Amino acid sequence: SGELYCSLPNPRNVHFESINMKNVLHWSAPEGTGDGVLYKVKYSVYGVGKWIRKPECRNINRTWCDLSSETSDYEEQYYASVKAFLDGMCSEWMETTRFNPLTDTKIDPPMVSVSSTEKSISITLTAPEKWKRSPEGESISLLQVYPGLQYNVSVLNKKTKKRWLFSISNNTLVVPWLEPGTAYCVSAQIHVPTPLLHSVFSKEYCIATLKDK
Amino acid sequence: SVTEIRSGFTAIKANIQARDPIRTLSILSHPHSLHKVQSSDRCCITHHLFNFYVDKVFKHCKTEDSYVNRKISSIANSFLSVKKKLRQCHEQNKCMCGQESTEKFKQILANYKELNVTSAAMKSLGELDILLDWMEKSA
Amino acid sequence: DALLPRPQNISILSTNMKHFLTWSPVIVQGETVRYSVEFQGEYEREYANESWIPICECSLITATVCNITEDISATVAYNLRVRADIGARRSEWGSLKGFFNRITTSLTPPLMKVIADGYHLLVELEDMGPAFQFRVLYWKKGQASRIQQKVVTEVSSVVHLDTMEAGPDYCVKAQTYVEAINRSSSFSQPQCVRAQGGRSVWLV
Repeated sequence: SGELYCSLPNPRNVHFESINMKNVLHWSAPEGTGDGVLYKVKYSVYGVGKWIRKPECRNINRTWCDLSSETSDYEEQYYASVKAFLDGMCSEWMETTRFNPLTDTKIDPPMVSVSSTEKSISITLTAPEKWKRSPEGESISLLQVYPGLQYNVSVLNKKTKKRWLFSISNNTLVVPWLEPGTAYCVSAQIHVPTPLLHSVFSKEYCIATLKDK
Repeated sequence: SVTEIRSGFTAIKANIQARDPIRTLSILSHPHSLHKVQSSDRCCITHHLFNFYVDKVFKHCKTEDSYVNRKISSIANSFLSVKKKLRQCHEQNKCMCGQESTEKFKQILANYKELNVTSAAMKSLGELDILLDWMEKSA
Repeated sequence: DALLPRPQNISILSTNMKHFLTWSPVIVQGETVRYSVEFQGEYEREYANESWIPICECSLITATVCNITEDISATVAYNLRVRADIGARRSEWGSLKGFFNRITTSLTPPLMKVIADGYHLLVELEDMGPAFQFRVLYWKKGQASRIQQKVVTEVSSVVHLDTMEAGPDYCVKAQTYVEAINRSSSFSQPQCVRAQGGRSVWLV
């Protein structure tokens, strides 16, 4: 059918929200439109000539669309665009800025596991995985995506309230010579020097050293 | 340093890329991606690209925004500083150009010539993260 | 209207990668003199027709100092110049004698506090900005031949260096390193501590 009469207000704030390269397009409904607005989405690889429609996001009434699969090659950059429809009218196509999955994604904190002996605690960190199409899909750690990835580990002595910071590149840390029978709380952050990215600190994992025998 | 180039570019990336309306052409990444360049040719391509940006690109990127102009100057002077180091590698024959890199760089110049100078320069500047991502990945 | 005299005694104060341009005030009785600053990098000289770039934070200011740190952001030779204005009256440009390259910045040893927390050797370092890393050396007193080193980039809180044996003193000193200019400061004065059970002990 020919193009509809495009005088509907445009979708607003069309942008990618990306965590661990799970890249989801988000937007806000056109101003002043109530329920009933439908949307369609298209995307393009920067430098390649054509826009590609996303069938799963055609005539949808939600204001997001998961484009992780279509934008999974992080050596490319992308644009996405949204058009709104209501009562036979439509809006203009509204585009994102250029999206670079490598630099524009947010990174989750690492997973932290802690064990203790009488006088030491052992910390093991696991970097989050890059988004993958299905649970059976190949797992790619963000460590492979960002080779310079490092961990900042904060260790808090709950008795003295003193906090120590460790910066490590490998994913294990043993802190020896601790006080027996004392609670320590550990949290960790990912730091990528370049491109400059860092996660928030993880929640605290607390553990007590064993009591003196 | 490259880190400073990256932070300078990040500060003006949205502004510069917004000035490039052409989605269908990339100077650096199509039809052949920088990421497909063999490791043996990386130094030579980097050397060529730094010369390309210093000689051809930055001077055509003047904007009406003084903050953006200052950041472009900062990036351009950082490029000049890195370019001099790369020239030393080239002069010590540690930066040999193979057939592939020569072809790749020809393609980049061809892409550049498809647009008028200002559009091509602004597009190239907006693609700095493509260059930096590739350099840092292969560092 | 007589031409305004150009600013004189233009010079740079540069410490720890913070760069300031200063000059003597132009004195005109009963008038408020304002100043404007411009810079020119090596790129502008060699590739952009020797163009000059204004620093808007230092346009028509009354102060006789300008923080040029943000603009001196490459390790190349920069030219800098200042002129004076009173209303429509304007001076010639006064220029810095010679170039300024940030490689000449003076680097001071970092402020450092060494802490013994039980058997753990820790150090607290001053945050000097993203351009700075810290090279921390530590050794058992009397065993200076067996110095150990740690490069610290994250200084947001107390940094763990190592564990200590009970008894001997452990000494620590640190210097800054700026990768962008590939230079280091001199070392801070060594500070020594000793591990003792669970209590912190200071021995300077």
